[in-house]
Amino acid sequence: MIDVIEAARSAGVEWLSLYAFSTENWRRPGEEIDFLMRLVSRVVRKHAPLLYARGIRCRFLGAEDPRIPVRLAQEFTDLMTLTESNRGMTLTVAFDHGGRQDIVSAARSLIRAGVSADAVDQARFAAHLPVPDTPDVDLVIRTSGEQRISNFMLWQVAYAEWIFPSVLWPDFRASHFLECLHDYRSRDRRFGGVTPQANGEPHR
Amino acid sequence: MKDTDSSRFTRTGPDATGPYDDPEPTGPPGDPGREASGTPTEFLFGPGSQFHRFFNDPRWALAVVRATVLEAAHPQIGAALADNSSFVVHPWRRLSNTLVSLQRMFGADEHTRQREAARLNRLHTRLSGTDARNRPYDAMDPEVRAWVVATLFESSVTMCRLSGQPLDQITMERLYAEFQAFLAALGDEAGHLPPTLHEFWKYYDRMVAEELQNTEALRIILFKLFEHLPAPPLFAGLPTVWATGRALAGPVIGTITVASLPEVFRRRAGLPEVPGAQTLMQGAYVTARLARALPDNWIRTENFVSLLQLSPDGDGPCAEALTTLRARVKRAGALIRLITPVPAQQDGTGGTENRRSARVFFTEVLDQTGDGYLDWPDLAAMARELCSRLDLDEPEETRLYDAFAAWWRELQAALDSDGDGRVSEEEYAAAAPSLAGPALIRVAEVLFGVTDADGDQFIDAEEYRVLFRRGFGRSVVDAEGRYSRSAFVRDFLSFMSGRQRSTSYDPLLADA
Repeated sequence: MIDVIEAARSAGVEWLSLYAFSTENWRRPGEEIDFLMRLVSRVVRKHAPLLYARGIRCRFLGAEDPRIPVRLAQEFTDLMTLTESNRGMTLTVAFDHGGRQDIVSAARSLIRAGVSADAVDQARFAAHLPVPDTPDVDLVIRTSGEQRISNFMLWQVAYAEWIFPSVLWPDFRASHFLECLHDYRSRDRRFGGVTPQANGEPHR
Repeated sequence: MKDTDSSRFTRTGPDATGPYDDPEPTGPPGDPGREASGTPTEFLFGPGSQFHRFFNDPRWALAVVRATVLEAAHPQIGAALADNSSFVVHPWRRLSNTLVSLQRMFGADEHTRQREAARLNRLHTRLSGTDARNRPYDAMDPEVRAWVVATLFESSVTMCRLSGQPLDQITMERLYAEFQAFLAALGDEAGHLPPTLHEFWKYYDRMVAEELQNTEALRIILFKLFEHLPAPPLFAGLPTVWATGRALAGPVIGTITVASLPEVFRRRAGLPEVPGAQTLMQGAYVTARLARALPDNWIRTENFVSLLQLSPDGDGPCAEALTTLRARVKRAGALIRLITPVPAQQDGTGGTENRRSARVFFTEVLDQTGDGYLDWPDLAAMARELCSRLDLDEPEETRLYDAFAAWWRELQAALDSDGDGRVSEEEYAAAAPSLAGPALIRVAEVLFGVTDADGDQFIDAEEYRVLFRRGFGRSVVDAEGRYSRSAFVRDFLSFMSGRQRSTSYDPLLADA
């Protein structure tokens, strides 16, 4: 995983998100969850100094479920604290994240803020999403040959390009990532219009 | 009341001659001539006084710790401390209150002094009771108060001697006169401190040899406080950093303090003799003396006090620099935690959330004395802290205490299920959800009343700052920028019974 992050950073990617664990994953067997939690904890601890040294800002999306072990939650907080002033690439780890849940929270937040129905437009709505500074997603790489969205950042992937390499996530390496990136660069993104826009440009 | 040890209440005035005809070398060479009480007050207090010279002396920190230990060794004071004092859990708050109080008492302004003396007297009037063996103690007992002043004086003298700069006779007598005047300013009639320095040493030696004991409070200070010293607010949230420093410094401070106590007492109380401790102790005093060469404003006690009162996300002159510094330290703390090996595998998933936070609230906020039980002294300590913050006079002070007392009765009635007169952590955790009774609401109302100094039914920014030492948060004020009674009561209740973390109340009641 860390070499993918490294590859993305050196290729000039500014926003990288990893989908580690979804809200629905809690339905998996307990042992598997325990194993996953320990794995994540090990990864966080192992790579924290490198992430910090590389100027990568780390964030965790979701990660508020009380079922997350206390210690792991502390490690998430520590990693965020450690890297919060970094200005290099932003690495968002979607942990216990669900795209629909995000949209529901945005709706709640809008209602709480007392925004009138007529005043709600896309930009306004997006501003109430958790971590609103996340830009729209340009490219989603779904490994393991699966071809589903799986409730991932539903709002942000509206105009994303999708690539479905068949390689399994544990085997996914920097070279695979660069292949996907190459593939993406050759695509023609139109955002529903006819004029192609340069990839990565803002398009609101 | 079966063994009210009457010998402890005998007068130890000037004519109490102890069995010591050969005082320690510290004693004066028989020159009782100078009449101290004749010196006018303005020379005894204020910037020209001897005390004032010591107040900004780094050695004084060591001396005050030593004096506190000697006070705690007095059976009556020890009992009062063990019962009432929140210093184990909130030592920094206590230290900063003490320093501010001494500053007022020894300052140049007579009015401030009288007001502070009255406040101290009211505070001490509320501290009385009986110890574990049913012997009464009373913080207003003039003997007791004389001993407190005596330890402060003696520790100042000893601090100079230990750091290789003994005071000359004239300075020492002058200092003694100042401390006598301090006791007199508290309103105690003369006679409890011996009139002359010569007699003082006899009195002191006799107290050390006969009255002092290895009290519980003494053991708590020496062996518990230093090694478990909670982080001051500035370091809150950085437990790793604090614990590392404390693990090194805690035992050293304890050892230094023990080594500086009178030999007679160390032997009698069975305090440990650590090889090299004497050298270490003298080294510490000498180092502290040399620290006086540091730039003046580094070592000013006022600055130290304001540092103690700072909490990181407050506001104030140096808040910005402090926030930056703290952010760095926080990052360092996070990194240390992340790279240190995981202790043992104990992945408790935070299931019983409500119950656990009730326990945390009990330890962090309610149990001010840190004895594991909620009892009147805990709530009295809260009332005391609020009164000090708001600098209350009568009758407001009594109103606040009364409100807290009523709340205590309410808590006791509702929670003390085993009827032992106090509330244990389990009893509190079991009943925690149902806890905002009328008496607690009354506490909130009274607190609002005394905080609202101008009585306009709103707390303005100035009044808010007096209580919380910070500006308004975004969330507390209404459209006109004021804090209303209902909002105040609601916030107080959500802190006290809803156990919500609060940027206002946590520094006030939970910080060390």
